[in-house]
Amino acid sequence: MPPPVQVKADRNGFTLVPDPAASLDAIVAFMDERLERSRDFFQKTEMVLDLRTRPMRTDEISVLYEKLYEKSKVKVVEVRLSDELSFSIVAERRKSRIVSKGAGPEPENCAPLIVRNTCRSGVRIVSSSDCVVLGDVNPGAEIIAEGDVVVFGALRGLAHAGAGGERTARIWALSIEPNQIRIADLVAVPPQGVKPAPARFEVAEIQNDVIRVTCL
Amino acid sequence: MAGKTIVVTSGKGGVGKTTTVANLGTTLAKKKYSVVMIDTDIGLRNLDVVMGLENRIVYNLVDIIEGKCRKEQAMIRDRKIPNLFMIPAAQTREKNSITPEQMKELCSTLAAEFDYVMIDCPAGIEQGFKNAIAGAETALVVTTPEVSAIRDADRVIGLLEAAMLKHISLIINRLNAKMVKKGDMMSTEDIISLLSVPLLGVVPESDEVVVSTNRGVPLVHDRSSKAGAAFRRMAARLNGEENLPLDGDGSHGFFGRMKRLIWN
Repeated sequence: MPPPVQVKADRNGFTLVPDPAASLDAIVAFMDERLERSRDFFQKTEMVLDLRTRPMRTDEISVLYEKLYEKSKVKVVEVRLSDELSFSIVAERRKSRIVSKGAGPEPENCAPLIVRNTCRSGVRIVSSSDCVVLGDVNPGAEIIAEGDVVVFGALRGLAHAGAGGERTARIWALSIEPNQIRIADLVAVPPQGVKPAPARFEVAEIQNDVIRVTCL
Repeated sequence: MAGKTIVVTSGKGGVGKTTTVANLGTTLAKKKYSVVMIDTDIGLRNLDVVMGLENRIVYNLVDIIEGKCRKEQAMIRDRKIPNLFMIPAAQTREKNSITPEQMKELCSTLAAEFDYVMIDCPAGIEQGFKNAIAGAETALVVTTPEVSAIRDADRVIGLLEAAMLKHISLIINRLNAKMVKKGDMMSTEDIISLLSVPLLGVVPESDEVVVSTNRGVPLVHDRSSKAGAAFRRMAARLNGEENLPLDGDGSHGFFGRMKRLIWN
C-alpha cells in the first residue's frame, strides 16, 4: 500500500503529492509522523502541494497548511491544481479566522481567492481575503470570506462575507437568490415570493444594521 | 476492444436509477451489443427484481470478488435477450465487503469482453457510491424535477467531477409536462441551468413504469410505451447514433423534439 503522501525532492524544493485514495486524516497523521522523525531536516522549508491526482477542498488545504506550519514551520507556498493551473500562497495567513469584533484589524493585503468553476452542493470554500467565483454557487455550497464575496453567476448557496467581523464587506453576484446570506455577524433571509430578475447584478451590504440587497 | 463502463447514479434514492439501468441495458442489448449490468447496491439489491431474474440467482458480486466463483458463474443471462447479462448484488452482506480497487479491476476485465458495462449505483455518497464509480468512465446522473433530488444530484456531480470521471450527463426522470406548463414543476431548462451538465434525455412520468417494474419486464420491450421510447432514444444517444444535445440554448431543436415526445 502506498503512503498517503509522497514527499518528492527536486531542484526547486519539496513537493507533496497526496495519494488519490488517502483521507485527510491519514495525510495529516502521516506528515505529522514524517516531520517528527526528521524534525530539523524539514524545519522552515517551503513546499509545493501537488493536487493533480487528489483534489482537496480549500478547508482541507488550510488544515494541512496550518498543521505543517505548526509542526515544523513548513510553509506550503504553492498549490498545483493541474498542469496549467497553480496558485501561490504569498501572504501569511491569519491564524484564527474569526476575529473578535471591536477594534477591527487592519485588512491585510491578500490576493483574492479565485474559484474557476461552479461550486456545487457540499463544497466549502474558505478565504482569508476576498473570494471570487467564476461560475454559479449552487444550493448547499458555502463561500466564506473575510472580505467581499463576488460571484460571476447566480448565488443560490450560502455566502458569508466579512467572516472576520468586517461589517463593510459586501456580496456581489449576477443574481442573489440564496436561502440565506451573512455579512459579518448579521444573517438575512430573502423575502417570500418571486423577485424580479436583476438587470445587471446585485449587491448585498449592511445599511443601518440590516442586510439589504440592491439591484444595479 | 474495450467497452464503455457507465455508472448510473443520483444521490437521492427512488429517482429511477435501477429502472434506467434495466431499460438502457435492455435497449443496448436489443441493438446486438453485448451488455452486462452490475448491481452494486449490496444489501439492498433491486436490479434482479426489475429484470425479473430474482429466482435465478446463485452467485453474486461479492462471491466474484472474494473468489468464490468465476465471474461467468455469477452472470445471469436475460430471459429474452441472449447477449444481456446481470451480476446481482449480495443481499446478506454489506457495502464494505468490496473495495473501489476491486471494483475497478472487475470493471476493466468486464469491459474487455463486453461492449457496455452498466453499473447500478446505490443511493447515498458513502462507500457504496465510491465502489460503484471506481470502475466507470462515464456517469449518468438521474434526477426527478424535485428540489431535493436536484440538490443531491448537484452534490453527486461535484463528487464525480472530483473523482475525474470523463463524461457526466443528466437524465431527468418523471417529468410531468402538464405540471411544468402550469408552473407547478421545474422545467428541463431550469434543471439544466442549475446543474450545468449536458442532458442525455427526459423520461415522462408514466404509470407503465410501475407496472413494468412489478412484472419484472423492462419497459422498452413495450413498443407503445412513451417512457420506453424515451429510454430507447437515450440509449441511441449514448451509443452516439444521434448527436448529444448541447448545453443551454444550442439544444433548442432537441427540446422541441423532447416536448413533442412528451406531448404525443
